[in-house]
Amino acid sequence: MAEMTLLQAINTGLFEQMRKDKTVVVFGEDAGFEGGVFRVTKGLQEEFGELRCFDTPISEAGIVGSAIGMAINGLKPVAEMQFDGFMFNGYNQLAVHAARMRNRSRSRFTVPMVLRVPMGGGIRALEHHSEAIEALFAHIPGLKVVYPSTPYDAKGLLASAIQDPDPVIYLEPKKIYRAFKQDVPENEYLVPIGKAKVFYAAKDPNVTVVSWGAMVHDAVKAVRALEAEGVRAEVIDLRTISPIDYPTIYESVRKTGRLIVVSEAVKSFGVASEVITRVTENCFLSLEAAPARVTGWDITVPLARGEYHHMPDVKRISYDIKKLMAFKL
Amino acid sequence: MYDFKFTDIGEGLHEGQILKWFFKVGDTVKEGDTLCVVETDKVNAEIPSPVSGVLTKLGADVGQTIHVGETLVIIDESGKGAPAPAPAVEAPKTAAPAAPEVKKEKTEEKGAAVVGEVVVSDEVIASSNEGFENNEAPAAATSGKVLATPVARKMAADLGVNLASLKGTGEHGRIMKADILAAAKSVPQASSNASAPVASAPSVSMAMPALPKDGVRRVKISKLRQAIAKSMNTANALIPSTTLMDEFDVSKLVEFRASQKDKLLEKGVKLTYLPFIVKAVTMAIQEFPVFNASFDHETDEIVYKDFINIGLAVDTPDGLIVPNVKNADKKSIVTLAKEIETLGAATRNRTVKLEDLSNGTFSITNYGTTGIKLGTPVIKHPEVAILGVGSIYKKPIVENNQIVIRDVLPLSLTIDHRIIDGADGGRFLLKVKELLADPMQIFLFLS
Amino acid sequence: MIIGKFDPLKQQRFTVLDETGKIVNPSYEPKIDEATLLKMYRTMKLARIADIRALQYQRQGRMLTFAPVQGQEAAQIGTMAALDKNDWISPAFREHAAMLYHNVPLENIYLYWFGNERGSRVPDDVNVLPVNIPIGSQYGHAAGLAYASKLLKNNQQVAVTYIGDGGTSHGEFYEGLNFGSTFNVPMIGIIQNNQWAISTPRRKATKAATLAQKAYAVGIPGIQVDGNDVLAMYAVVKEAAERARKGEGPTLIEAFTYRLGPHTTSDDPTIYRKNEEVEEWKKRDPLIRFKAYMEAKNLWDDKKEAALDEELEAHVKATFEKVEKEGPVVSVDEVFDHTFATLTDDLKAQKAQYIQYVKETEGK
Repeated sequence: MAEMTLLQAINTGLFEQMRKDKTVVVFGEDAGFEGGVFRVTKGLQEEFGELRCFDTPISEAGIVGSAIGMAINGLKPVAEMQFDGFMFNGYNQLAVHAARMRNRSRSRFTVPMVLRVPMGGGIRALEHHSEAIEALFAHIPGLKVVYPSTPYDAKGLLASAIQDPDPVIYLEPKKIYRAFKQDVPENEYLVPIGKAKVFYAAKDPNVTVVSWGAMVHDAVKAVRALEAEGVRAEVIDLRTISPIDYPTIYESVRKTGRLIVVSEAVKSFGVASEVITRVTENCFLSLEAAPARVTGWDITVPLARGEYHHMPDVKRISYDIKKLMAFKL
Repeated sequence: MYDFKFTDIGEGLHEGQILKWFFKVGDTVKEGDTLCVVETDKVNAEIPSPVSGVLTKLGADVGQTIHVGETLVIIDESGKGAPAPAPAVEAPKTAAPAAPEVKKEKTEEKGAAVVGEVVVSDEVIASSNEGFENNEAPAAATSGKVLATPVARKMAADLGVNLASLKGTGEHGRIMKADILAAAKSVPQASSNASAPVASAPSVSMAMPALPKDGVRRVKISKLRQAIAKSMNTANALIPSTTLMDEFDVSKLVEFRASQKDKLLEKGVKLTYLPFIVKAVTMAIQEFPVFNASFDHETDEIVYKDFINIGLAVDTPDGLIVPNVKNADKKSIVTLAKEIETLGAATRNRTVKLEDLSNGTFSITNYGTTGIKLGTPVIKHPEVAILGVGSIYKKPIVENNQIVIRDVLPLSLTIDHRIIDGADGGRFLLKVKELLADPMQIFLFLS
Repeated sequence: MIIGKFDPLKQQRFTVLDETGKIVNPSYEPKIDEATLLKMYRTMKLARIADIRALQYQRQGRMLTFAPVQGQEAAQIGTMAALDKNDWISPAFREHAAMLYHNVPLENIYLYWFGNERGSRVPDDVNVLPVNIPIGSQYGHAAGLAYASKLLKNNQQVAVTYIGDGGTSHGEFYEGLNFGSTFNVPMIGIIQNNQWAISTPRRKATKAATLAQKAYAVGIPGIQVDGNDVLAMYAVVKEAAERARKGEGPTLIEAFTYRLGPHTTSDDPTIYRKNEEVEEWKKRDPLIRFKAYMEAKNLWDDKKEAALDEELEAHVKATFEKVEKEGPVVSVDEVFDHTFATLTDDLKAQKAQYIQYVKETEGK
């Protein structure tokens, strides 16, 4: 056991998997010598050498395309897109090939690769460094998408992702890379892909809050502060965006009758929409109020100074939860 | 006192390590003098002083880490107590004195982000309890919410029925609207007031007496019939009603209709007496709005409505269904005629929509088509009145002391006696009568 | 040593066998054993006949859109004959000749173009990726395949990839080639310059005088070869493969050839190109010169030709009829089960829902 930040947990996980399996290779822009612009891959090249941890040309399509070829031919590539906003040039290879190679060849060729992408806003950076586009990955059949919110989950999900026989997009909530520490076992353990977690549960809950990534922590802060006003929440951390663990959500909503989804993505056509649709389809008879969501707006993510208008914060989350709870039949 | 905080030097960095101080506490510095060199992930940065004055505090020692936002130095600008000017150590303008050993002893990582600011903190959050023996089993045996659609829940709330107390007859124990209606006739507990007669709803045992076993044939009633039975029970239990009856000369109306109906039929409109009756009723309602209201016995309030939706009972093979014409007061006779026909047809072939069946404010039932003249129609709760229309027939009446044959229309008005008294009922009926006795009155008083 | 001797910047094109079948560069004539030569010829004939028949089946409404390879057989078969059985092909969509030589059954090729993914499920010991429609992306895959070979197989396994003249304008062509070059992997990039990208002539794809010279941009050798000369292709690829296996990195080879047929069966080339041009190139048909070469070596004659034609026609016909019968059959399992190694719970539920629907509405 050791206390580590989310970033350290990923780094530790990479060391662990690379030691365990010699076919695991890690690469991306500046990911080799320097260990990545956030230092997530720091130290790997020193220990494992340049062939297994290396810097690539600035070439997202090349990075993902070659990862696909490597994965088909016996390696386990863990490639990196430097920032969410830059992944679009690599998205072509993901969507038209990585996601489809197994189906296209009837499982003759498969792509056991991981693509790491720092995701989300709140870091006051330049344009294209603060996107929340997990839905774009989730919308493609054949890809799995994971998004840990704690150091423990980060390491466990990374191991699962690397060991998964299919392409996994591993999203890293950069806002909370180093915002806190947690006890993380130093031995190998797996957090299963496709399993959500009840992150926080008040007794006799009357509302289900679903979230993921950095937002989970803001959601928990909000519900704890509202307990004095009678809000008793079950906060569910999805951990995996695709496939979503619906049974855990349904079980909660059937107890509470109310659902609110907290996401920093833009309002429309996102993961929140999918969760709400499924809950409406499957928990209709248990609902006391229409499911709700707290999200950004359908606008371009503002630059640093204006970002607060867009990204939900504890105050706005609380406001919307209260609105949901106020609805009486 | 100038508290100079260590700021983000613009590389998105969060912390640094002091490599070298060029001054010590007590020294005088000039604005622009290099105070120290801070080692960060990317660069070794020289930090210039923002003001002139005397250094009274150094925020960190050589080798220590300083975080963004923490005090780097405090400078006393007041000019007092300024000791001897700083001696030889002149801040070298060119950089990199502390260059050689970029000692890579990493005790902790530097806050690295080439762009953006990543919060760095030593806060520790609770451990994950996964994979460890589950100490507290999650609250098991939680009874889920009762199963009911949102619409049914709303109905239950409107009728004051507690869903949790009901046993649903739907799949998986789902509570159906019929279940709610059935329960609605019984006491809505909680704070009722004395004026609520509901408290005295028959709490008799509802057991059926034994019926003969031979010579009888049992037939299960349809869902619609069940709903009607329950609705009738409700009205019966809740509403003390009384019926006022009258019949009067409508010969002029009959004549008028006869003169118009063929022309309208050519245009595809079937003109009956109902549109006229509906119109007359809406005009009477405008004068006596209580007939269009509801009575909330939980709050002792009469609920007046801005809209007049006239329900028309339709006889269907399965039972009586009452769709309503919305805003009948705003529609012409011809429009009413058309709508009445459309609604009737839709109701008979069961394609009528839920919204046409809801929110009626006053109902009209026409048993005249069967030849019946007078009756005691049952109010459709939560309305407070209903008009029964009998068949128009030729009758000898006395006019100017002569016996004449006239077409008479029998009407029966049932009222909710909790809020409408007989005299009010009489006045309402009189108004309707005036308007129908001479159709030109409708035209004259139409607003 | 061929690579390095023929500089595309100087418009030097490598050739061994001319249109008539005469050896014009005897010192470069590759030494190929009889069995291989015969296999090469057979496969070129098979590719040609299968191609012609496929076009006919399509016009009969029995085959879907098909991209014919006519005229490019030498560029492909010359390449594959020079490589090992375990080497990889990362193709685009006009490489059936290469695939046939590299042990992909004709049945698979027909099945794919017939519209059934089963066609891409090649035998376990055949290292040929499925047809790749998005232009350029196959180069990145080749770089990755070769990188794995570098790490795991000491460069002994080569990855060859194909692209057309139009495709060289695509960013992914450059990115894949640059990746492979930067990491010095055992990769061979073939450009099949068949002069046309649908209706766009070669000169409109890029201002570069040759495509082979794009190799200079990534720091590797490039060479332009007469793509209809199967011996020249063989010789160059043999050398490129040796380089690769020695760890010297990728080579870019431009096969200068011609697309005798349409882009696909949905294309009418008479709209945008002159018949005279096509007739000119027909004279340079790779099959003509190779047949002449084989005959000159006493390895072939008209009697053998007739027999081969008969055998291949029958084989092609039988194969297509089998595909026609089995191709339309696609099970529910097939369309769901290959989404992941193991279906997610939700996918299982979706599949069950669909099966239920089919059951309930069967025959209605």
